[in-house]
Amino acid sequence: MTTATSRLIILGLGFLGGIAAWPAAELVLYFQGSFPSYLAFLALLGAVVGALMGAFFGAAEGITSRIKMRIPPGLLLGALVGCIGGAAGALVGQAALWLIGGIFLLSYRDMQWVVLPVSRAIGWAVLGVFVGAGEGVRALSPKKIAVGVLGGFLGGIVGGFALEYSRLLLPGFAFFRLVGLVILGLAIGFFYGLIEQGMSLGILRILAGELKGKEFLLTEKRVRIGRSPRNEIALPAYEDLADLQADIRVRKGEPVITNLQPRLPMLINEEKVQEKKLKLGDVIKIGSARIFYKFG
Amino acid sequence: MIRHCKTVAIFALLALTAAAASALNVSVAQIDSSGLLLQQRVNAYVSVTDDQGEPVTNLPQQAFSISESPDGEHYTKLPVLGFEPRAGANEGITFLLMIDNSGSMYDAPDATPTTDPARMKVTHAKAAIRAFLASMTNPKDRVGLVVFNTRYRLLARPTADRERIASLLDQITKPVPDEAYTELYASLKQGSQEFAGISGRKAIIVLSDGENFPYFTHSGKPHPEYGRRIFSHTESITANQEEGVTVYGIDFGVGEVMDKNLRTIAQETGGKTFEAARGEDLSGVYAAIHRQVAGEYLVGYRATTTPAEKKYVQVTANDQGKESTSTRFYFSSVVFGLPLPRLSPVLVIPFILGFALLWLLTLLKLERRPGPASLEVLQTRVGHPMTRMLPLSGSKTVIGGSRSADLTIAGAPQLKQEHATILFDPKDKSYTVVGSGEITVNNQPVKTRKLEPGDVIDVGGATIVFDDSKDKKKQKK
Repeated sequence: MTTATSRLIILGLGFLGGIAAWPAAELVLYFQGSFPSYLAFLALLGAVVGALMGAFFGAAEGITSRIKMRIPPGLLLGALVGCIGGAAGALVGQAALWLIGGIFLLSYRDMQWVVLPVSRAIGWAVLGVFVGAGEGVRALSPKKIAVGVLGGFLGGIVGGFALEYSRLLLPGFAFFRLVGLVILGLAIGFFYGLIEQGMSLGILRILAGELKGKEFLLTEKRVRIGRSPRNEIALPAYEDLADLQADIRVRKGEPVITNLQPRLPMLINEEKVQEKKLKLGDVIKIGSARIFYKFG
Repeated sequence: MIRHCKTVAIFALLALTAAAASALNVSVAQIDSSGLLLQQRVNAYVSVTDDQGEPVTNLPQQAFSISESPDGEHYTKLPVLGFEPRAGANEGITFLLMIDNSGSMYDAPDATPTTDPARMKVTHAKAAIRAFLASMTNPKDRVGLVVFNTRYRLLARPTADRERIASLLDQITKPVPDEAYTELYASLKQGSQEFAGISGRKAIIVLSDGENFPYFTHSGKPHPEYGRRIFSHTESITANQEEGVTVYGIDFGVGEVMDKNLRTIAQETGGKTFEAARGEDLSGVYAAIHRQVAGEYLVGYRATTTPAEKKYVQVTANDQGKESTSTRFYFSSVVFGLPLPRLSPVLVIPFILGFALLWLLTLLKLERRPGPASLEVLQTRVGHPMTRMLPLSGSKTVIGGSRSADLTIAGAPQLKQEHATILFDPKDKSYTVVGSGEITVNNQPVKTRKLEPGDVIDVGGATIVFDDSKDKKKQKK
């Protein structure tokens, strides 16, 4: 699938995450009166929403890379990281409320319309940071974590505002939280995709064979290519290439491809090379796979 | 000696009887919920008065009990966690003095017109306020000043600088006829907003000699600021309740009717109305209000987490068997809104639906299946392709700028009409590209070249991918 399709899928997962998180949030809210404190209530609410959103986003990589074995661990780790993020977000949101409310001591209306939504949106941004970073944690990739942190933060703050203001702008509408949570999920997905694209050095597109048309963003510091599903670019259905055939490392901001298996040749633009700095438009041939390096 | 003891005993008995006979009036004057979301703390300012309306300020903490309810019916008794008698006197009070500066304030208190400034109601009002300011001794007390008629005019936000407030009184002058209406409700609403940034005990003392007399209703012309909007007394009640401000009303003078809703506004915000028929009575009224507010108890508790738009606080004071209860509500900040009225099993549906669609997504095959021989235009540096995907069917496929080409790249001037041709060789079922202009395959310049699946042909800046996966598979089989 193309990177545009991948982004659509991530957006769709955010949407589904919002839908699945809604009944859980309603359940927690229904029992709000049984909580010993507001903070405990908010922490559980954040943890539940974060776990569900994290689970859906955690499944994204497995779905877009079509490597199913990545789905269960991604889902579980995403849920765990999201759960921690949601609870942490509640604490940060409350601290923000305490700071803003304590320093400015505003009127009831300012409190309702500015301080409360702003501080809570900060809390949702923290949730977004963790939800976004989940995949990076699974892949142990600092670059992906950075993408997730930034994308999740932006999505969380935008979605968080939507979620908090949906209460004030849609009074009497029974499904306002559903709308807000769906927007939160969509926003995290949207900004994650946007940042991932923005931080990438280009796209590697598979030109023929089983994965024809599949595109990989060159975001990480090291991208491995080979038959093994552990690789970032996993090509299990292609012939004449090793489990780990080549890798692309970013050196001084530019991608350099290296053939790691000299007995199996790598051709770039029909020329056999061992190591080469990639230029946009290059055609890489390893085994039966053809890869086109294009602008992201 | 014995006679003396008897006398003391009789006096003591009389005093007790009198105390038992006198009632206890409890009123929750203000609820400060500013600490609700931060420390989950709510403070109630409770006024306890005797029959004469004088504050009773010596009750111990044990005399008070406090309950909270989300609906005004079901109360939960909560422990009293904070207690301070004479809280207003100790912690300071913030007053906003609002003075009616309509035309009638320049008449005498008996409603007769006068040209003698000393007899005018406004002069008495200024004198009473000066006395009130002078009587305040707590440096923590703050006073703000507002005059209102057709317009609302803030002379000073609440400040500890009482001398400045006194000097500002001189700025109050007789209004021109168009300015002489009484926007009482609008002004009380606006007044509630002057307490932003102030915590603790907050009160408005509004002095008026007549009723709400809106400009638009009575002049027929749109108000310079409010336009055609007419403010209701309920708006001023809600605004003051939200900000936790108590309104005390002073009805000054005779002959004119007090606004019919001022008493309701005062009661609903925890205050009272007072009457001052003569100028000399005014100082006493201001002093009584101050005494009452200063003598209030602060009773604090930890709020319940039950979500509700309004929460009702019930305070009961018990002094030697005499008991009195008062209830007041506050607007509780609802984090994340109110819950659904009941949990429905239908809620499971979106939860299951979300995961079911996630599972479906994992099954989706989004890649294009390897198909028959085709050309796909990936990108163009110049011009735009008329088709993105072209299955190769005939024995000859032309790529070029011409509209009659099989794959037309329009708007690329360097492209020949028939720039490249793909020829099919039925013998070995292979395809060969032949360039009449400059072409590259996999970035290598070529004139002619047999194509393999995944080969990238550059035709005048258009990147075209050749694929023939299906046939290749067939061949393998």
